[in-house]
Amino acid sequence: MTESITPDVTIDSRGATCPGPLMDLIGKVKKADPGTVVELMTTDTSSSHDVPEWVAKAGHETLDVVEHEDEGYWSVFIETTK
Amino acid sequence: MTGYAIVLESARLERLQAVGNIAAIAAASEVPVDIFATMGGLEAFDNERMASMDYEVGEVGRAMLAAEDVDMPMFFESIAQAKEIGPLHVYACELSMDMLGKSLDDYHEVFDDVLGVSGFLTHAQDKQVIFV
Repeated sequence: MTESITPDVTIDSRGATCPGPLMDLIGKVKKADPGTVVELMTTDTSSSHDVPEWVAKAGHETLDVVEHEDEGYWSVFIETTK
Repeated sequence: MTGYAIVLESARLERLQAVGNIAAIAAASEVPVDIFATMGGLEAFDNERMASMDYEVGEVGRAMLAAEDVDMPMFFESIAQAKEIGPLHVYACELSMDMLGKSLDDYHEVFDDVLGVSGFLTHAQDKQVIFV
Protein backbone atom coordinates (compact mmCIF):
# COMPACT_ATOMS: atom_id res chain seq x y z
CA MET A 1 0.00 0.00 0.00
CA THR A 2 2.76 2.39 0.98
CA GLU A 3 4.44 1.98 -2.37
CA SER A 4 1.36 3.46 -4.03
CA ILE A 5 1.23 6.68 -2.00
CA THR A 6 2.52 9.57 -4.03
CA PRO A 7 2.61 12.76 -2.00
CA ASP A 8 1.69 16.12 -3.45
CA VAL A 9 3.91 17.80 -0.87
CA THR A 10 6.95 16.45 1.00
CA ILE A 11 8.20 18.05 4.19
CA ASP A 12 11.69 17.03 5.26
CA SER A 13 11.88 17.62 9.02
CA ARG A 14 14.60 15.06 9.65
CA GLY A 15 16.92 16.17 12.42
CA ALA A 16 14.30 18.40 14.07
CA THR A 17 12.94 17.57 17.51
CA CYS A 18 9.44 18.07 18.86
CA PRO A 19 7.58 20.32 18.15
CA GLY A 20 9.45 21.15 14.94
CA PRO A 21 8.07 18.42 12.66
CA LEU A 22 4.47 18.97 13.75
CA MET A 23 4.80 22.73 13.44
CA ASP A 24 6.21 22.28 9.94
CA LEU A 25 3.27 20.03 9.06
CA ILE A 26 0.63 22.34 10.49
CA GLY A 27 2.06 25.28 8.59
CA LYS A 28 1.73 23.37 5.29
CA VAL A 29 -1.63 21.78 6.04
CA LYS A 30 -3.24 25.13 6.81
CA LYS A 31 -2.35 26.37 3.34
CA ALA A 32 -3.18 23.15 1.49
CA ASP A 33 -6.32 22.42 -0.49
CA PRO A 34 -8.58 19.55 0.61
CA GLY A 35 -7.36 16.23 -0.76
CA THR A 36 -3.71 17.17 -0.65
CA VAL A 37 -1.46 14.25 0.27
CA VAL A 38 1.48 15.28 2.43
CA GLU A 39 4.52 13.24 3.41
CA LEU A 40 6.25 14.33 6.61
CA MET A 41 9.75 12.90 7.03
CA THR A 42 10.92 12.84 10.65
CA THR A 43 13.69 11.28 12.70
CA ASP A 44 11.92 12.23 15.93
CA THR A 45 10.38 9.19 17.60
CA SER A 46 7.77 11.17 19.52
CA SER A 47 6.64 12.94 16.36
CA SER A 48 6.01 9.61 14.64
CA HIS A 49 3.34 8.98 17.29
CA ASP A 50 2.25 12.53 18.04
CA VAL A 51 1.65 13.68 14.48
CA PRO A 52 -1.13 11.11 13.79
CA GLU A 53 -2.75 12.22 17.07
CA TRP A 54 -2.86 15.80 15.86
CA VAL A 55 -4.02 14.77 12.40
CA ALA A 56 -7.01 12.90 13.87
CA LYS A 57 -7.87 15.74 16.22
CA ALA A 58 -7.68 18.26 13.40
CA GLY A 59 -10.05 16.14 11.30
CA HIS A 60 -7.59 15.09 8.62
CA GLU A 61 -6.60 11.52 7.74
CA THR A 62 -3.39 9.61 8.37
CA LEU A 63 -2.86 7.35 5.38
CA ASP A 64 0.18 5.48 6.67
CA VAL A 65 3.23 5.72 8.92
CA VAL A 66 6.25 4.03 7.38
CA GLU A 67 9.43 3.39 9.34
CA HIS A 68 12.62 3.44 7.28
CA GLU A 69 14.70 1.48 9.76
CA ASP A 70 17.93 1.46 7.79
CA GLU A 71 17.85 5.21 7.29
CA GLY A 72 16.51 6.01 10.75
CA TYR A 73 13.42 8.01 9.94
CA TRP A 74 9.66 7.78 9.52
CA SER A 75 7.41 8.92 6.70
CA VAL A 76 3.99 10.01 7.91
CA PHE A 77 1.54 10.25 5.03
CA ILE A 78 -1.58 12.30 5.59
CA GLU A 79 -4.42 13.60 3.45
CA THR A 80 -6.10 16.91 4.17
CA THR A 81 -9.89 16.86 4.33
CA LYS A 82 -10.70 20.55 4.62
CA MET B 1 -12.95 27.00 28.54
CA THR B 2 -11.66 28.63 25.38
CA GLY B 3 -7.94 28.12 25.60
CA TYR B 4 -5.04 28.45 28.00
CA ALA B 5 -3.63 31.37 29.95
CA ILE B 6 -0.08 30.46 30.97
CA VAL B 7 1.60 32.38 33.77
CA LEU B 8 5.29 31.81 33.10
CA GLU B 9 7.39 32.61 36.14
CA SER B 10 10.18 30.07 35.78
CA ALA B 11 13.55 30.72 34.14
CA ARG B 12 14.43 27.02 34.15
CA LEU B 13 15.16 25.81 30.63
CA GLU B 14 13.10 22.64 30.84
CA ARG B 15 10.02 24.57 31.92
CA LEU B 16 10.56 27.21 29.27
CA GLN B 17 10.86 24.54 26.59
CA ALA B 18 7.73 22.77 27.82
CA VAL B 19 5.74 25.99 27.76
CA GLY B 20 7.05 26.81 24.31
CA ASN B 21 6.16 23.39 22.93
CA ILE B 22 2.69 23.16 24.43
CA ALA B 23 1.75 26.75 23.64
CA ALA B 24 3.00 26.40 20.09
CA ILE B 25 1.10 23.21 19.30
CA ALA B 26 -2.08 24.46 20.97
CA ALA B 27 -2.05 27.77 19.11
CA ALA B 28 -1.17 26.14 15.82
CA SER B 29 -4.22 23.91 16.39
CA GLU B 30 -6.40 27.03 16.77
CA VAL B 31 -6.61 26.79 20.57
CA PRO B 32 -6.16 30.34 21.92
CA VAL B 33 -3.15 30.80 24.19
CA ASP B 34 -2.03 33.81 26.20
CA ILE B 35 1.37 33.75 27.91
CA PHE B 36 2.04 36.18 30.74
CA ALA B 37 5.80 36.24 31.32
CA THR B 38 6.59 37.52 34.78
CA MET B 39 9.55 37.64 37.20
CA GLY B 40 12.13 35.01 36.19
CA GLY B 41 9.99 33.91 33.27
CA LEU B 42 10.21 37.36 31.74
CA GLU B 43 13.96 37.52 32.22
CA ALA B 44 14.29 34.32 30.22
CA PHE B 45 13.40 36.43 27.17
CA ASP B 46 16.04 39.09 27.91
CA ASN B 47 18.14 39.66 24.79
CA GLU B 48 21.45 39.27 26.60
CA ARG B 49 20.24 36.18 28.46
CA MET B 50 19.19 34.54 25.21
CA ALA B 51 22.50 35.38 23.57
CA SER B 52 24.50 33.87 26.40
CA MET B 53 22.10 30.93 26.93
CA ASP B 54 22.52 31.55 30.66
CA TYR B 55 19.66 29.40 31.92
CA GLU B 56 19.09 27.29 34.98
CA VAL B 57 19.20 23.72 33.68
CA GLY B 58 18.63 20.22 34.96
CA GLU B 59 19.52 16.86 33.46
CA VAL B 60 17.24 17.16 30.44
CA GLY B 61 18.23 20.76 29.83
CA ARG B 62 21.91 19.83 29.78
CA ALA B 63 21.18 17.09 27.29
CA MET B 64 19.25 19.56 25.13
CA LEU B 65 22.11 22.03 25.09
CA ALA B 66 24.66 19.33 24.38
CA ALA B 67 22.74 17.75 21.51
CA GLU B 68 24.62 18.58 18.32
CA ASP B 69 22.99 16.25 15.84
CA VAL B 70 19.43 17.52 16.22
CA ASP B 71 17.69 20.75 15.38
CA MET B 72 15.93 21.68 18.62
CA PRO B 73 13.89 24.87 18.47
CA MET B 74 14.32 27.05 21.55
CA PHE B 75 11.20 28.11 23.42
CA PHE B 76 11.20 31.60 21.93
CA GLU B 77 11.58 30.18 18.42
CA SER B 78 8.61 27.80 18.88
CA ILE B 79 6.50 30.64 20.23
CA ALA B 80 7.48 33.00 17.42
CA GLN B 81 6.69 30.34 14.79
CA ALA B 82 3.30 29.59 16.36
CA LYS B 83 2.34 33.27 16.50
CA GLU B 84 2.48 33.31 12.71
CA ILE B 85 -0.10 30.55 12.30
CA GLY B 86 -2.35 30.57 15.38
CA PRO B 87 -3.98 32.59 18.17
CA LEU B 88 -0.99 33.03 20.49
CA HIS B 89 -0.29 36.25 22.36
CA VAL B 90 2.59 36.98 24.71
CA TYR B 91 2.57 39.67 27.36
CA ALA B 92 5.36 41.05 29.52
CA CYS B 93 4.77 41.78 33.19
CA GLU B 94 4.85 45.52 33.80
CA LEU B 95 5.89 45.18 37.45
CA SER B 96 8.92 43.06 36.60
CA MET B 97 10.02 45.50 33.92
CA ASP B 98 9.58 48.49 36.24
CA MET B 99 11.67 46.85 38.96
CA LEU B 100 14.54 46.39 36.53
CA GLY B 101 14.06 49.65 34.65
CA LYS B 102 13.64 47.84 31.35
CA SER B 103 11.50 48.33 28.25
CA LEU B 104 10.23 45.86 25.66
CA ASP B 105 13.29 46.68 23.58
CA ASP B 106 15.33 44.71 26.11
CA TYR B 107 13.44 41.52 25.30
CA HIS B 108 12.77 39.19 22.38
CA GLU B 109 10.39 40.59 19.80
CA VAL B 110 7.84 37.88 20.56
CA PHE B 111 5.95 40.15 22.98
CA ASP B 112 2.68 41.71 21.93
CA ASP B 113 2.32 44.14 24.80
CA VAL B 114 3.05 44.99 28.42
CA LEU B 115 0.36 44.16 30.97
CA GLY B 116 -0.29 44.45 34.68
CA VAL B 117 -1.91 41.65 36.64
CA SER B 118 -5.43 43.03 36.20
CA GLY B 119 -4.92 43.32 32.49
CA PHE B 120 -3.74 39.76 32.21
CA LEU B 121 -6.58 38.45 34.36
CA THR B 122 -8.99 40.10 31.95
CA HIS B 123 -7.39 38.17 29.11
CA ALA B 124 -7.44 35.00 31.23
CA GLN B 125 -11.01 35.11 32.46
CA ASP B 126 -12.36 32.67 29.86
CA LYS B 127 -9.29 30.43 29.80
CA GLN B 128 -7.76 27.66 31.85
CA VAL B 129 -4.94 29.20 33.87
CA ILE B 130 -1.67 27.28 34.08
CA PHE B 131 1.12 28.46 36.39
CA VAL B 132 4.66 27.47 35.46
